[in-house]
Amino acid sequence: MSVPTTAEPDSGQANPRPPAATATESVPARIIRALLTQRIVLLAVLIVLVVAYFSILGAGGYLTASYDFDYLSAALINAVPLAMLGFAQLIVILSGRGGIDLSVGAIVSLAGMIFGFAYGQWGWPLWTAILLTAAVGTVLGLLNGLLVAYIGFPALIATLATYYAYKSLAVVVNNQRPISTKPIQDLYESTAQSVSLPLIGDYIPDVPKGIFLFLLPTVIVVWLLLARTTYGRRVYAIGTNDVAARWSAIDVRATRAGAYALSGLISGLVAVVTVGQFASARPDAGVSGNGMALPAITIAVLGGVAITGGIGRVSGIVLATVLIVWTNAGIRLAFEGNAGPQYQLLALGLLLVFSALLNGFALRRYGGVS
Amino acid sequence: MSTATVHDQPPTSTKRQRILAPPVTGQEIVLLGVIAVLWLVLGFTTPAFMSAGSIQPLLGAVAPIALIGIGMTVVIITGGIDVSVGASIAVCSVIIAKLVLVQAGLGLPVAVITGIVVGGLLGLLNGALIAYGRVHAIIITFGTANLFLWLSLKLFNSSTVNNIPDTLAALGNGSAGRTAGVPNSFLITVVLVALAWVYLRHTAGGRHFYAIGGDQLAAQLAGVKVRQRILIAYLLTGLLVGLASCIVVAQGSNLGQNVGTGKELAVIAAVVIGGTSITGGRGSVLGTVLGALLVQTVASGVTQLGWRSELSDLFVGVAIIIAVGADLIRERARRKR
Repeated sequence: MSVPTTAEPDSGQANPRPPAATATESVPARIIRALLTQRIVLLAVLIVLVVAYFSILGAGGYLTASYDFDYLSAALINAVPLAMLGFAQLIVILSGRGGIDLSVGAIVSLAGMIFGFAYGQWGWPLWTAILLTAAVGTVLGLLNGLLVAYIGFPALIATLATYYAYKSLAVVVNNQRPISTKPIQDLYESTAQSVSLPLIGDYIPDVPKGIFLFLLPTVIVVWLLLARTTYGRRVYAIGTNDVAARWSAIDVRATRAGAYALSGLISGLVAVVTVGQFASARPDAGVSGNGMALPAITIAVLGGVAITGGIGRVSGIVLATVLIVWTNAGIRLAFEGNAGPQYQLLALGLLLVFSALLNGFALRRYGGVS
Repeated sequence: MSTATVHDQPPTSTKRQRILAPPVTGQEIVLLGVIAVLWLVLGFTTPAFMSAGSIQPLLGAVAPIALIGIGMTVVIITGGIDVSVGASIAVCSVIIAKLVLVQAGLGLPVAVITGIVVGGLLGLLNGALIAYGRVHAIIITFGTANLFLWLSLKLFNSSTVNNIPDTLAALGNGSAGRTAGVPNSFLITVVLVALAWVYLRHTAGGRHFYAIGGDQLAAQLAGVKVRQRILIAYLLTGLLVGLASCIVVAQGSNLGQNVGTGKELAVIAAVVIGGTSITGGRGSVLGTVLGALLVQTVASGVTQLGWRSELSDLFVGVAIIIAVGADLIRERARRKR
């Protein structure tokens, strides 16, 4: 449990929690309680089921290619942007007051174009270009934060407005043309390619580089930030009850604005990953089709983040991402042509609806999900 | 509720206090002013703007957004939201265009009724999940948006629908779709908006939506059938999506797989620009129509000025910030008084 007693949800007072698991509870009842109230248990079970199901299909020859560990490992490259944006949503949703960030996809597009200019056209060194992109993302996110925390816009409206604005700027800034000069194309090698790990590489499949360069550092930093720093605990506090937080001398506005700035920062880093993955800075990278915000919010909800704020964990986001990525990877092999991506939509929608219904049920039956 | 008797007033108060919001709110007057200024400026700078050939498609494009906006206004007044309307448009449109018009070759009444029934079913699913599953509306509708999108792509079967017969011409952009120079689709919208305006403002049923958005628990204790009302709000949105889809199909002889993409955000933008509070309890359909008109005017103006059409999204974003920001500031001033 990464949620300490200081950040316990206050909903328990109006609606007293049922007593904790007692010795009299039967074993099946305890298993069901664990599945329903501890999201990571449910996600872990689902991941095992999905992998087992597709492995059996693969062994029976029903898939177009084999669903083995090499394939699963290569598919993890799709987890990089998804999980990172999931963290962005986690921080923002945790901060409460209906927190949500619809603009992440548009920030990815716009920051990606800036990265394309800096690295691909102006010839900046890679690290400076990445720093600039991250800074641009932070500023774009901070604008959301100022609107929400200081002026009092509902988060949905503020980020809807900036979604439109950033999306439009990303297209206009280079006249709708993508940037794919030589340095940008070379980036593909350093993000999406799989590498063999030193020492243990012979025993496990090759893993995409982006996992180590971007995802793992983000996971560690976000976990440290949320679970081990004062700022992180303040985010939980304002999300749980912002009046109480203010009476505890927390600067609620600055903390909340910071959450949106962090979301922008992560989106800026995702922009770099996306440019590398596509080997091109595309003006519609983050908003084409369904955009990137929707899957990110889905992952956050699936990972057990309460949309009302104050409840949510890093591990939930990681497991939810892995579940979605491996489900999608299996679906891609199970259907030919366009049917694959279509069934991915179906799977995403069903997962989201059922996890939301499950959250509601667990809240009434057991008093909450952790 | 609409009749405030003198006895209700505190004896010291000399000013008659309102219970209902004024028929036309400040936000709506400002919107009207902004739209008037925009039309005048565009009329002077680009002569083509004030021609019938430019205004008629503009009104035709406002119609579906404003129609769905009626339902979305009711949904948002209850404190909810529906982000699945874009995907619902895709489902209704492809069923109307592909199954009813191209494959079965049926007439206009069947097409319209099919659209409304299908839209209603989709709305009913949303409403049932939200009202009885007691889950946050935004989460559920994000989920059903994916499901509806899958359904529509399945029906499209990886190809656009071509050679749609002009059965729905009465709702389209051609001369058959106009009465006295005004597109029929816009006239239908005006009539339905007027009905919704009266219903929301002057009937008990309509006021229940505001009561739920203001304080759901208080509404329940006051005897409002909260769940049933919420279900009705989403059902209504679905029915209107079905009708709007007929107008969308009538626009041309082809239907692409991306029909409806981004429409949910356009509708929500129109509603919030129109002054409806996203937290519920306050809003009007008149504002929504004006919001839709403003967004479409900006889009049309940007194209006519020869700018990149994507630039209109930037102005829509800025318009949302200004409209909602002004509302927030006024709300703060109201609370101080």
